[in-house]
Amino acid sequence: MPRLRRASVNSKEKLRKLADEELMELVAGNDAEAFEVVLERHEAAAFSLAYRICGKRSVAEDVAQEAFLALWRSGARYDRTRGSVRTWALGIVHNRAVDSLRRTGVHERRRASDEGIEQTLEAPERTDSQAIDKAVSQEIRGALGELPQEQRRVIELAYFGGFTHTEIASMLGTPVGTVKGRMRLGLQKLRGHLQGWEAVGT
Amino acid sequence: MSTHEHDDGCLHRMDAAPYVLGALEQSELQAYRTHLEGCAACHQEVVELQIVVNELPASAPVVPAPTAMRKRIMATVRSEAELLSAAGAAADRPARPVSRWRSRRFSLVGAGGALATGVAVLIAVVIATGSSSKETIIRGKTSGPASMAQVALHRRDGRSELVVAHMPQPALGKIYEVWLSHGKHSPPQPTNALFSPTGSGNGQVDVPNSLHGVKEVLVTTEPLGGSTRPTTPAIIKVTLRA
Repeated sequence: MPRLRRASVNSKEKLRKLADEELMELVAGNDAEAFEVVLERHEAAAFSLAYRICGKRSVAEDVAQEAFLALWRSGARYDRTRGSVRTWALGIVHNRAVDSLRRTGVHERRRASDEGIEQTLEAPERTDSQAIDKAVSQEIRGALGELPQEQRRVIELAYFGGFTHTEIASMLGTPVGTVKGRMRLGLQKLRGHLQGWEAVGT
Repeated sequence: MSTHEHDDGCLHRMDAAPYVLGALEQSELQAYRTHLEGCAACHQEVVELQIVVNELPASAPVVPAPTAMRKRIMATVRSEAELLSAAGAAADRPARPVSRWRSRRFSLVGAGGALATGVAVLIAVVIATGSSSKETIIRGKTSGPASMAQVALHRRDGRSELVVAHMPQPALGKIYEVWLSHGKHSPPQPTNALFSPTGSGNGQVDVPNSLHGVKEVLVTTEPLGGSTRPTTPAIIKVTLRA
């Protein structure tokens, strides 16, 4: 049964006023309550990303859960000079989700027919009250939507589908060089959009 | 870091985009990472494109996380926090403070309950080793980016800890992972021990698994979160006596 914890010194309200980076300093000292605030802030984005990649709620939940526990256990290693907590957390989610796809053979099925990718792409959007930056979300989706279809496709197949450039080339019947070129052009265009926004990557 | 040929002359200039998207083949990764260390133009492109990729998760349709997920995560987190603080109080060992890196000690495949039990066992071991039993120290060999580092494996009462000094930070988005090799006939076994050193290059990490039958303790550079198979050659090797 729960005993008195050191963390209880910090009330949730106080903790919620802290920036992620400050919370991670507490997490490095094994503060479970501080970690819960980090979890509250980023669980929706993490689960959404995992679901987008894995396409199954149960798998996405496992992936997000593993990723957050890894984040908790490696909290002392968070280095704020290397990017935001959110980026770090979502990087772990992405890695694990793609690993899971490749391991479970879902990937093999999708390779045979990449319709799965399109289905998750068309998945009905749900609203969510949690703290995700909807403006950025809309912007990035808008920017992706403005890309020429063939550029958007290779970016999504790679990032959300977990396919390598050679797999994408054979799926699309396109030379590898063309696939890489489309990825590069697409990302550069997105970067142009991003540069128009404020405080990107800070 | 020396600058390379002018941007467009670089043979690898088309690889930055697939790299940041995670779409290079495993077989290409190591060579590309080595290239990045020496090519300022490619390095710059990776940094710039990575900023874009960092925003891609936001394009996923927002799906609320199941409420049970937070409960399960927090049940595990709370039980580990209590165990770790108990170990911190009991581990009155000035020469050996509790590792500042809590390793990813056990496989996360099981339910939170099983995992908390595993941590409890480990903590018990940590506490039990507070006595003055014999410690053995084995020096390790280093290579590649770690070639200037000093490495030693400390073993006492079945508990092992890898201690490093002058170790460089892993590349952006990477972390060091500890592996156990049982010999050339089988692939190295992942340990769930992940670490990166402090800014001054020091560090220590528990090697959670038993070293029974282990021939070598290895360290490789892996993506954050670790890998199930090594994706880069070992940069630290500690050879154990048979």
